[in-house]
Amino acid sequence: MSPLLEVRDIHTFIGQFHILEGVSVAVPPGTITVLLGRNGAGKTTTLKSILGLTPPRSGQICFAGQEIHGLRPYDIAALGIGFVPEHRAIFRDLSVGENLRIAERRRGDFARREELIFSLFPDLKRLIHLPGTHLSGGQQQMLAVARALVPENRLLLIDEPSEGLAPVIIEQMIAAIRELSAETTVLLVEQNFLVASQLAERYVIVEEGRSVQSGLMADLVQDKATIQRYLGAA
Amino acid sequence: MSDVRTFLTRNRTRLIVLALIALLFLSSTQDMEGGEWLITVLRGLSVGAVTFLVAAGLSLILGLMDVLNLAHGEMYMIGAYVGWTVYVRPDTFVDMLTPVLIVAAGLVLWPFWRALWARLAPASSRRRLLAWAALLAGALLLFLTLRAFPLAKWDPEVYAQSPITFSLLLSQGTLQPPAAAEFGALGPALAFGGALLGSVLLAAGMAGLSGRADAARDRRRWPFVAAVLLLVAALAIFMVNTPLTEWLFSLSTSWRFFLALAVATGAGVILGALIEVTMIRPLYARPIYQLMITLGVSFIGIEVVRAVWGRPEFTMPKPALFNGSGDGCPAESLSAMLEGQCSTVLLFGGRIRTYNEIFIILVGLTVLVAVWLLLQRTRIGMIIRAGVQDSEMVEALGINVRRVFTLVFALGVGLAALGGTLAAPSFGLSTAMGTSVLLLALIALAIGGLTSFPGAAAGAVLVGLLQQFMIKYGQIGINLPFLAEPFKPSPPLVPASTVLLMVVILLVLPRGLFGRSE
Repeated sequence: MSPLLEVRDIHTFIGQFHILEGVSVAVPPGTITVLLGRNGAGKTTTLKSILGLTPPRSGQICFAGQEIHGLRPYDIAALGIGFVPEHRAIFRDLSVGENLRIAERRRGDFARREELIFSLFPDLKRLIHLPGTHLSGGQQQMLAVARALVPENRLLLIDEPSEGLAPVIIEQMIAAIRELSAETTVLLVEQNFLVASQLAERYVIVEEGRSVQSGLMADLVQDKATIQRYLGAA
Repeated sequence: MSDVRTFLTRNRTRLIVLALIALLFLSSTQDMEGGEWLITVLRGLSVGAVTFLVAAGLSLILGLMDVLNLAHGEMYMIGAYVGWTVYVRPDTFVDMLTPVLIVAAGLVLWPFWRALWARLAPASSRRRLLAWAALLAGALLLFLTLRAFPLAKWDPEVYAQSPITFSLLLSQGTLQPPAAAEFGALGPALAFGGALLGSVLLAAGMAGLSGRADAARDRRRWPFVAAVLLLVAALAIFMVNTPLTEWLFSLSTSWRFFLALAVATGAGVILGALIEVTMIRPLYARPIYQLMITLGVSFIGIEVVRAVWGRPEFTMPKPALFNGSGDGCPAESLSAMLEGQCSTVLLFGGRIRTYNEIFIILVGLTVLVAVWLLLQRTRIGMIIRAGVQDSEMVEALGINVRRVFTLVFALGVGLAALGGTLAAPSFGLSTAMGTSVLLLALIALAIGGLTSFPGAAAGAVLVGLLQQFMIKYGQIGINLPFLAEPFKPSPPLVPASTVLLMVVILLVLPRGLFGRSE
């Protein structure tokens, strides 16, 4: 099956710094793929390059058969890509409900998806009128994922969903991402190897701005040497 | 309960500062009589309302786009002059409409040109050369043909035709429609065609010099529809020029004044959108350049106004609705004031000017509520509030933030222009009026917390009140402890006091009264 998203050899600069020096990622439809690698390897920049927030200088990015490299971020997102950024980027001045409704691409998106969202994150229903400032870290993370679910996205880019969360909440997050992956494809960045191995079917290792290895998660879990080499601790 | 306690501890300094301000404010009642005090407060609110109209746009633009629009004061000034023209010289206003609409018709074809350039000539030095040639030819053609359009005679240097004279005639009630201007040597057909061709070439040149094209977006048909509609409007207005002018002159000054407010606001909105699209938008990657370009725009604005309206300061007579002095004036009650259209009303022993101290404040309040509703109750407002915090994330949600930027810039400039026309009848017109109001608005912004909309409103009111109380105390003196004589602040202390207030507030609350920690 041809991949839903195919990134081929992208090079991205931030200012004069050459951050990505050749990253290639293929995400087959209906799967969870995880980007692994050390801090500063270029995982977050890869997600931002796909969305055009840090547009790559060269390379190709194909989404659902269409070249999206060079489009503006809002046009890329409107093709059906949801983004859950690092540190969540919840809008503090907006209530939880507004944080969800702002993500609508067509009128009534939120109403259509309300049931799904509240079944994944029942807490949010209770908090719907609270301003974004008043949420705890875990609630913010749920809201950030929920926000990406409001329009019917075909691909979700999720950056560090477990970062800074209590173990109980991480469990809840894993369950939610697994459930939503039944209908959307997911490209994940995850530092926590345990979380990554529970969620992902495929992996891509990014090292110093290059994608160096990819394959099935099931194989990587066995391969202690690779884990040690690229990710530090097992 | 715990919520209240957290709120109190978190906002301790802020609450103390607000309480101190309230205390100072109340203590001012000690020194003067009720009527005097009320007048001073209303004057302060009036200055605050005008400052707010400028500060509101400034703070929204700064918050959303990180652009400090140094030309915002000049937009206020230009608004005042545009409003004055519609009010005092409607003939010039009507004469202007036709050429402006023709030029607009040419310029809206811009997206068509971008698509054409993209298809015929990829970005290259040859394309740049062609684009520059089109730009220069268009500008030259416009320069030659626009002069042929009949414009009511203006000459700031000749007494009989200067703005001051017309202001005087209007305030005496003896303003007659001046003789209609004749078409220039070119004749209507040539002038129309030349102006249209010139603006089309101008658009072509600018499109050729601007960045990449988006073929799918640029192939839409609306530019042609808009161009045809604008042309039809231009011709229609040209046909009815004389009756329209006569009708406008026959309107009461009140109606013409409200028309002037609307036209100034509209002109501000269009001017703001043009500035954002052509000058601010290409420079989001270079904030310093944006700052410098707004400074440049402010200088150009002042010089353009000087060239058109002349150097001297002049006044804008108050509309009849607020200028009556006949039977029963000054009015004893608000209803009597409305009935007699009195210029002043006696309330609580104070003589309150209807226009300055009631109407301006009402308009300020209306705008405050309207913008608040826009921000809190509409999707655009939601996007603006979200964008103030994180415009990149808004973009990542699939929302075209640039379009919202243009809208907010246009709206902000529109509000400033409204403020200019609103302030003109009470404070007069001068080319320096923009600079002084910008300074007040910037101080108000700093006090309120830079990007906070309620902060801008509160800051503007505080600055206005402080300024007026200082002026008042300059007359009557203020009793201070340990001083034998009442202290009379000298006039230079009036502007200094607002800066001092800002310094004190920022020392205690570095992010201003309503500022957010990042």
